[in-house]
Amino acid sequence: MPTDLLLGNEAIALGLIEQGCRVATAYPGTPSSEILAGFVKFKKRYARPAYAEWSTNEKVAFEIALAASWAGLRSAVAMKQVGLNVAADPFFSAAYTGVRGGFIVIPADDPGPQSSQTEQDSRMLAMSAKVPVFDPSSPAEARAMVAHAYALSERFGMPVMLRPTTRLCHALQSLSVADDLGQDDAPPAARFRKDPLRWTATPKLRYRLHLELNEKLHKVQQFFETSPLNAVFDEAQQARLGVIASGVAAALAQQALRELGVRVPLLKIGTPYPLPHGLVERFMAGKDQVVVLEEPDACIELQIDDRRKVLGRLEGSVPNAGELTPERVFDLLGRVLQQAGVHVNASRFEPEMQRLVDDLGLPPRRPRLCPGCSHRSAFFAMKREFGPKAIYPGDIGCYTLGTNLRAVDTFVDMGAAVTMADGLFKAGRLVGDDRPIVATIGDSTFLHSGIVPLMNAVHTRSRFVLVILDNHTTAMTGFQPTAEADYLANGSQDAHQIPIPDLVRACGVQFIEVTDPYDQESFRRTLRRAHQHTQDPQGGVAVVVADRPCVLYDPEPLREHHIPVIITEECDGCRYCLEAFECPALVLHLDGSRVDLDERICVDCGQCIDACYKGFIVPRMPSQEVTEHG
Amino acid sequence: MDSRGGRSRAEARLIIAGVGGQGVVFATRLLAHTAIALDLPVIASETHGMSQRGGSVVTHLHIGGSQAPLIGRGTADVLLAFDHDEALRNIAFLAPGGTALINTDHSLPQDITALLERRGAQVHTLHASRRAMELGTAAVTNVVVIGFALGHHALPFPLERLRATLSDLSPRGRETNLQALEVGYQAGVATARSTRPHPGAEG
Repeated sequence: MPTDLLLGNEAIALGLIEQGCRVATAYPGTPSSEILAGFVKFKKRYARPAYAEWSTNEKVAFEIALAASWAGLRSAVAMKQVGLNVAADPFFSAAYTGVRGGFIVIPADDPGPQSSQTEQDSRMLAMSAKVPVFDPSSPAEARAMVAHAYALSERFGMPVMLRPTTRLCHALQSLSVADDLGQDDAPPAARFRKDPLRWTATPKLRYRLHLELNEKLHKVQQFFETSPLNAVFDEAQQARLGVIASGVAAALAQQALRELGVRVPLLKIGTPYPLPHGLVERFMAGKDQVVVLEEPDACIELQIDDRRKVLGRLEGSVPNAGELTPERVFDLLGRVLQQAGVHVNASRFEPEMQRLVDDLGLPPRRPRLCPGCSHRSAFFAMKREFGPKAIYPGDIGCYTLGTNLRAVDTFVDMGAAVTMADGLFKAGRLVGDDRPIVATIGDSTFLHSGIVPLMNAVHTRSRFVLVILDNHTTAMTGFQPTAEADYLANGSQDAHQIPIPDLVRACGVQFIEVTDPYDQESFRRTLRRAHQHTQDPQGGVAVVVADRPCVLYDPEPLREHHIPVIITEECDGCRYCLEAFECPALVLHLDGSRVDLDERICVDCGQCIDACYKGFIVPRMPSQEVTEHG
Repeated sequence: MDSRGGRSRAEARLIIAGVGGQGVVFATRLLAHTAIALDLPVIASETHGMSQRGGSVVTHLHIGGSQAPLIGRGTADVLLAFDHDEALRNIAFLAPGGTALINTDHSLPQDITALLERRGAQVHTLHASRRAMELGTAAVTNVVVIGFALGHHALPFPLERLRATLSDLSPRGRETNLQALEVGYQAGVATARSTRPHPGAEG
C-alpha cells in the first residue's frame, strides 16, 4: 500500500470513510477543521456515496448527524471542544435515547490553550453525559480507533466520543493509504423506523432509558477491560513505579522514558471512560507510585478509586493548567524516578541557553490581521469615529485581533458580541452610563449564534451599534462556507444563499446599512448615522454590514482597487500608524527614525493613507520609483 | 558529547522555525515526504489558526519511528531557521552536537555562539533571503536553507532525493525552487569546505 503524509484530522476522516460513515457534519473551529475537509477529500477519492456538510453551528451539525444515525446510517459530527458546549443539549439527550447506525462525536480538545477560550476536557463532558470515550495518541491510532468506535456504538446502541487533541489533530504522520477501498454498501435496514418509546420518550420513559444507559455503561466497562486499545508496555516484575497515560501524553511519556534511559511499565489507556477499573487495579498492584499523564484534565485520575499511590493533576504533581510539553513530561518522570532511587539520563536542555535568549528580550511576534484585511479598516474607522471611551464588545474569529487595535473590549464565546452589547447597554442604563456601545461580529459567527441574541436585543428595546464584519467566508479556519455563501462543503455551487441583511431586517432591526469599509469616509458616516439611530427616541439597535471579502479568500476585488503607496521622506517615525493601524507591511526602520513599507507583503490596498494623519503616506504616482529603505 | 538519548541512528529530530508566510509548513512537508520516499516513518507537528496570522511559526519533525509529535528543548539534531529572531527563539531546542542552519545577514550574539560551541553544536548562517531574491522571489528562502543544510550534510537525505520530492511538490515555480535548492546546496558545500566545525560562518 502506498504511504502518504496525513494530518491527524485527515487520518480521522480517512478512518470514517474506510468504516462506511455516510453522513459527516461539522462547524469549523481550530483544531478540528480539517476533519470534514478530509472527509470530503476521501469521499471523492474513493467515490463513496456519503454526505458532508458544514452546518450553521455545532448543535445543528450534531442533530443532522444524529438523525442519520437514527435512520440507521453510520454518521459522525466534528467540532472544536467548545463547540460541544453548543451541542451539549442533544449530546446529553442522545446518550439516553441511544442510536441505531454507529454515531461518533469528535470534539477536538485544545490543551494550552493554543486557539480557544478554555482548556476544557471533552472527556469530562462525556462522563457527565455517560458517553464512552476513545482517546487516540497518534494519527495512526485515531484512524484505527474509528473502527472500534463504530463497533462499540452499534453493539451497545449508544453515541461514542472520539477525542483528539490539538497536537494529534495537527500532527503529520506517514500512513499507508489504499488506492481503492473496494465495494461498500449501505446497510439495507437504513431507513428511519418509528419507535415512540425511544425517539419520543417522555420524562417517565427517560427514567427507564437512564437505567438502560447505566446498564450499557456497565457492559461497556467490562468490554473495555479486555480491549486491545488498553495495553501495558515494558511490563516488568517488581517494578515499584508505573505510568498510566492516554492520548498524546502517552506518546510523550514513551519518548521521555526512552530519553531518560529507563524501562518503566506503562499502561496506555485508549478508552479513558468508562475506565477499565480491573485492568488499572491489576497494573497498580504491587507498585509504590503511579504517575497519571493525560490531557487536558483529570478524567482517568478521577475515576481511580484508591488514589493514594497516584501522582497526577488532582494530586498536584502534574501541572493542572497548560499543555503537557515534552519538557514537562521529561522533568516530571525524571524527578519521580530519581526520588525512587533510579538512575536516569540527565536532561540535555541547557537552561543557560534559554536564559541568554530570554535576556535578549526579543519582541514577541503576536498574530496580526493580514495586510489588506478589511477588518483593520473597519476597526480603524470605528476607533476614529467613537474614540477610546466607547465600549467595543467583540467576538470569535480573525477579528478578535481587533483587541490589538483596542477595538475589541470583550469576547466570551460565539455570538456574545451581540449579547454583551445588549447586556452592557441594560446595565449602563441603570447607572446612567451612556457611552456608545459598538459591537463587532463576523459573518459566520453571526449566522452561528448572533441572530437569536439580536432578536432579544431588538425585542427588549436595547440600543447599540452592531457591525457585522462580512468577509464572505469563515476565514480564520480555512474558508468554509457560511449560510450566505454560494458553495457547499463538497465544493459545488448549489447553495441557497441567505443574505445577512434580510436576516437582520427579519429580526426587527430598523437601521441597516451595507458599506464597504475600504471607503473609510463613507464607512465613518454610516457609523455616525448608526449611532444617531441608537440615540433617536424612535431608534434602537443599528446594524452596519462591513462588506468586503477576505483578501486571502477572494483577492480579485483587491486587484480592482489597486492603490500603491509610498511613505514620504518627511516621515518622523511617530509610530501612530504602527499602533493605531498595525499593518504587518508597515515596519519601523532599524534605527527607529521612520516607518518603512515592506513591499514584499504589501498588497497595495492603500488603506494606510488614512492611517497617517500627518499625510506622510501618499498614493504612489505611476512615474515614481520605489524607494528602498529596508 | 553527542549522547543520543537511547535513540537509534536512523532517528532525526528537526525544528523548523520562521514567520508566518515564510513557508515553514511547506518545508516541513517537503522534508517529511522525502523521508517517506526513503521508507522512513515520520511524525511532525504543524501550526494552525491564530498563530498563522503573521506570528512565529515553528514545526517539529521526527524522522524514524517515534509516535510523539513534539520534540523537547535540548534534543533537536537540526534547527532550520528562516529568520534571525526565530532562530534565537528556538536555539535552545538544539541538542549537544546538533546543527543549526540559519537565514540571517548578521551574526548571532557572542555569548550564545560560545555556549553552542561548548555544547559541540554547529551554527551555519547564510543570507538565504538575499540568495532567494537574486532568483526573483523571497518565497524560496525556505528551500535555499534546506539546500544549505544538505550541503552541510545536516539532513539524513541525499540531494537527489530531495530534488525529486521538491519537483513533485512544486508544480508551480518548480524551476525557481530547484534553483534555490542548488544555490543553497552550493553555499553549504562551500562553507563546509572552508570552515571547520565552528559557529558563525557566513556563506
